[in-house]
Amino acid sequence: MRAALLALATLAATPVSASVGDALSRHILPALADFSAATAGLDRAAQEDCRAESLRPAFQTAFDAWMPLSDLHIGPSETGALSIAFWPDDRGFTARTLAGLIATEDPIAGDPAGYGEVSIAARGLFALEMLLYDPAFDGYGPDDYACRLVQAIAGDLGLQAAALETAWAEDFAPVLASAGEAGNATYLTEDEAIRALYTQLLAGLEFTADTRLGRPMGSFERPRPKRAEAWRSGRSLRDVLLAVEAAQGLARALAEHGLPQTDAAADHVRAVAGRIADPGFQDVEDPQVRLRVEVLQQAVRRMRAAIETEIGLALGIAPGFNSQDGD
Amino acid sequence: MTTRRGFLAGLLAAGTAPQLGWASVGNPAYLAAAQEPDDGFALFGLRGDGAETFRVPLPARGHAGAGHPRRAEAVAFARRPGAFALVIDCSTGEVRRRLSPPEGRQFNGHGVFAEAGARLFTAEQRSDTSEGVIGIWDVEAGYRRIGEVPTQGIGPHDLRLMPDGETLVVANGGIATDPTDRTKLNIDTMRPNLAYLGFDGTLLEKVALEAALWRNSIRHLAVRSDGMVAFAMQWEGEAGAAPPLLGLHRRGEAARLAPAPLAHELAMQGYAGSIAFSGDGTEVAITSPRGGRVHRFSEQGDFLGPVSRTDVCGLAAHRDGLLASDGLGGLIAIEAGRPRPLARCDRAWDNHIVGLGA
Repeated sequence: MRAALLALATLAATPVSASVGDALSRHILPALADFSAATAGLDRAAQEDCRAESLRPAFQTAFDAWMPLSDLHIGPSETGALSIAFWPDDRGFTARTLAGLIATEDPIAGDPAGYGEVSIAARGLFALEMLLYDPAFDGYGPDDYACRLVQAIAGDLGLQAAALETAWAEDFAPVLASAGEAGNATYLTEDEAIRALYTQLLAGLEFTADTRLGRPMGSFERPRPKRAEAWRSGRSLRDVLLAVEAAQGLARALAEHGLPQTDAAADHVRAVAGRIADPGFQDVEDPQVRLRVEVLQQAVRRMRAAIETEIGLALGIAPGFNSQDGD
Repeated sequence: MTTRRGFLAGLLAAGTAPQLGWASVGNPAYLAAAQEPDDGFALFGLRGDGAETFRVPLPARGHAGAGHPRRAEAVAFARRPGAFALVIDCSTGEVRRRLSPPEGRQFNGHGVFAEAGARLFTAEQRSDTSEGVIGIWDVEAGYRRIGEVPTQGIGPHDLRLMPDGETLVVANGGIATDPTDRTKLNIDTMRPNLAYLGFDGTLLEKVALEAALWRNSIRHLAVRSDGMVAFAMQWEGEAGAAPPLLGLHRRGEAARLAPAPLAHELAMQGYAGSIAFSGDGTEVAITSPRGGRVHRFSEQGDFLGPVSRTDVCGLAAHRDGLLASDGLGGLIAIEAGRPRPLARCDRAWDNHIVGLGA
């Protein structure tokens, strides 16, 4: 608390403000364009050679390009993010739906444009990850049904990325940018748009700490390595780092003042992440490893607290009145 | 025990004091509570266009309220575990009565007037077991407690009067809570239900959900003029299960659940905070402050689409459509799915908007 007050006193000396326009033009819209390009590349690669081993590099590139957007859940991304990255999946919807499509050789695999009708559990990056990395699926040849399925999912992902980019650029970015203007029924004041992006920042880091890291940590008695995000493709740690980098980038674009605590906290996250060897957290059952993951989780939480201090407190944004409260 | 002085004071407060109607406070269409910028709380009367007709301070954050059908008098219920409810004269701001549940009972946040305002029914639970009771109060006798009947379930929350004027419908949420800190005690064994009761407590019908939805707490209700009941639920099971959060029921029929497509359902975060039929009765909607969205459904339960709005919770019928309120101070009309801001007030609207009917 004392640290927060001191920080406030320091901040009070310099003008604090935030810019939705910069957050859009410097972070969100370029990331959407990158993701479109990366998924178009993945789609082309899949049409050329659908086999798991050859497609994995393009898959990794596309997943990397997704991470700057993965924790945005407003506007078109509110539901759009879920059909691109359907995780967590406790009930095993993805494996079950894919197995069903394969068992019946559902003709939808021949139709990337129609594939959007399929359950979101069998669409997007995690469906592809299952087919490209899980031993139960990844042995298919170029003439197998699963090859066409991979091509359909890659094609659908490319269409989703393009649609998301268009929806943001043409519809939602103008809504955020025109916050407070007459006729804007989503953000009734300019502050509400800043608040919306700020909330995404906090929720994203919470998700990284509680879910990306908290799920594989499980309990001390029972760590759950198979609950790590994208463990099959060995991306769990990388996703944490890219999510943190994305939060730092969005925070910097949004705030028009320096964020020294946030930057220091992000550096600390990277430092403690360097002590973790398995990129998929599959050795988290080792108490030593679990401890390192826990240290990383604390570092992510500290970064969240730094953003709360440097942006939230500085701009006077209070937590949601009703969303924090249940009845 | 009634002392002479207490009796006289009661007479003055409830009997001989002027009994002004809602016209005296600007004919509000709604009651809504809010937190103000100074962190205090107040109850507001709102017109259909979102304009404020009255403001009376509240001593603490409330949950829901009930408006007397004739007099400019509102009952504001404390948050759970509710130790009190306040009868407020909306024309003077005066607290006419402070209602306390009998020993061993607590208010659960909702109540409803019946018999043209002569009776008040309050949703309550036994502090020790969480078994539901409906408290019965004689309004004309100065809100005298005259009895209670069981709700036929655990942890009742919302209750409504059916259009016949003589049946109550109660959302038995199913959750047993610790009497002091509201810790949930029975998530593994909870069994919510929707119960229809006569004023004498006769159980007329009880509707339960299939076993897979036993952790879906039935909490809030809306009733259409033809007797269709819509219920909103809050999921207490594992995250990511994305259960339906809306159900529709008609007496004598099975309940019909109204799911949204998976991505939309996930975005609601398993939580519906308020429910209302649209003014023309053709739509029913639920809000999720956690997801920041309103979900609209047809009267058959088909998903019509979302409206996004940060911290949205309160919901009521408005003209042909709906009125939504939120923690940022917004009052937003939703007409055929299109949001139209009516006002952005410098206060955080609380969980519910109560329609005054007239």
